[in-house]
Amino acid sequence: MENSAVLSVDHLQTCFFTKKGKVMAVDDVSFDLLKGEILCIVGESGSGKTVTALSILRLIDHPGRITGGKIMFGKKNLLELTIRELQDIRGNRISMIFQDPHSSLNPVFTTGDQISEAITAHRSVSRKEADARAIELLELVGIPIPEERFHEYPHQFSGGMKQRATIAMALACAPDILIADEPTTALDLTIQAQMLDLFSELRKKFNMSIIYITHDLGVVSEIADHVAVMYAGRIMEKGCRDDILKNPKHPYTKGLIDCLPSEKGKPASIPGTIPNLINPPEGCIFHPRCRFAMEICRLRRPMPSKTNNEHYVSCFLYGDI
Amino acid sequence: MKLAAYYWERIKRQRPAMFGLGFIIFLIILATLGTYFTKSPTKVNFDEKNLPPPGYTVEHSMYSAQNESFITTLQEGTWEHPLGTDSMGRDMLAQLVSGARVSLLVGLLATGIAIIIGAVIGVTSAYFGGAMDDILMRTTDVMMTFPFLLLLILIMYLFGASLTLIILAIGLTGWTGTARLVRSETLSLRTREFIMASKALGAGDLRIIFRHLLPNTLSSIIVLATLSIPGAILAEAVLSFIGLGDPTVASWGNILNAGQGSLETAWWVAVEPGVMLFLTVLSFNFLGDGLREAFDPKGE
Repeated sequence: MENSAVLSVDHLQTCFFTKKGKVMAVDDVSFDLLKGEILCIVGESGSGKTVTALSILRLIDHPGRITGGKIMFGKKNLLELTIRELQDIRGNRISMIFQDPHSSLNPVFTTGDQISEAITAHRSVSRKEADARAIELLELVGIPIPEERFHEYPHQFSGGMKQRATIAMALACAPDILIADEPTTALDLTIQAQMLDLFSELRKKFNMSIIYITHDLGVVSEIADHVAVMYAGRIMEKGCRDDILKNPKHPYTKGLIDCLPSEKGKPASIPGTIPNLINPPEGCIFHPRCRFAMEICRLRRPMPSKTNNEHYVSCFLYGDI
Repeated sequence: MKLAAYYWERIKRQRPAMFGLGFIIFLIILATLGTYFTKSPTKVNFDEKNLPPPGYTVEHSMYSAQNESFITTLQEGTWEHPLGTDSMGRDMLAQLVSGARVSLLVGLLATGIAIIIGAVIGVTSAYFGGAMDDILMRTTDVMMTFPFLLLLILIMYLFGASLTLIILAIGLTGWTGTARLVRSETLSLRTREFIMASKALGAGDLRIIFRHLLPNTLSSIIVLATLSIPGAILAEAVLSFIGLGDPTVASWGNILNAGQGSLETAWWVAVEPGVMLFLTVLSFNFLGDGLREAFDPKGE
């Protein structure tokens, strides 16, 4: 694996301007995505994982807006591109797949049609070539008898098949980066295992980088190279998979891991809920739920500090203040 | 298309819809080919005025200057004029066929114009939202509250009556319902994941509107179009009936207008176009209801 970042998100900030006030959905998020790696973004519902992913492709709709930061893709800052230049990157260099495969496909066109469309949107190939390529892609993502499936409508596919088809669409132009937003949440467990295998396999085949968003630490342990833990729009801790899972530093990460059922007995839970982001707590955003909260946590916001090689944690318990 | 075959199966099960479809096809054939087999609808012949359809006899009184008295003769219908003639001896069948052409032309073209305008306004309004939505929907509200017939009469009065103008006027005022329907359907579609997914794959606004939003509202648009065709046909008939239609074409409304004065002596002149209008409107309504039933996913 080469050690160069294909995408680097730098101090990204995305806000939603609602009637009740400004919601900081993503606040000062930075991470690098290396060539050919799988980066998992983990967090509870509402922690800003999806908004981070949508911000990368600038898919944030009104009333949301990206209010700060940089997203460097190669030498280009995605936040400064025109909409045309951006459309050229979406689906072509960076693709995204979504949580619910049942509504990710247009019900009125055949599945094959939609994959071909994803190809012809970016490549000047004939319809025939696009169709042939679409059938190859269907086969690649593990759909049996792709020649027949090509002509079927989404409602004739099962959930897992639909998700495979959306992956085929996302891979249509062999992108550098695939963003997968909880792609297995809506599927049952056996299918989930197959999908994880598929992602690992595709990553190797295309030497592509994947941002995998999930709330499931079990998934993280299976496929991640690096992990970023998000809470209330901020990254609490990031590092390699083993550092995060076996040697978590941040009280929130520890809490998440303690939530998993283990032989030790009843799983613990983190008291409280994600704070209201219109009026977020001062200082460290996690302090109201933190067992180790100190005076300073209420006053100042912790900056990421390096604990060891590549392992960063935003907590006053570590590093110098 | 497998999908088309599926819907055809579902429509076939509905008798009224099939009756409607049958009559509409008959009407289309009549309007396109009928004129080659009928007499001229405008040929005046006073010797054969007010002839009843064959099988009927009417008394016909005429003042004779020679005898200085009324002479009453019995007139019997002939197969020469299977639906009789009007007060100027014009063949009713020929007039009805020509009227079918006018009515279908008005119904299809005016509805076509209205549907296209309505769909574009509805989809733009919902897709772009914000100020665009406000402006377009308030315009629609104003259009909706404006008395439609008054507006048509005003247009006819200002620019004179011609069939083209009538079609344009009905089309340009009749899009409000479509705009509302397409807007509401688009609003619910817009949040579906496949719209976001196609954006994420690099689709622009136009592609999303034409490939994803409009095709998904197509079934509602088809139903609405079928149900608004009779409205357009009736609007033309009403205009013609009150004398604002195009006087150079024989439309059902014109014939009705001409026949209303002689209901007692020549009932067929008014009744025949009336029956045609009734059957046509009924057929489109039956077909529209059938289509709605067939497209309804809950109908299975």
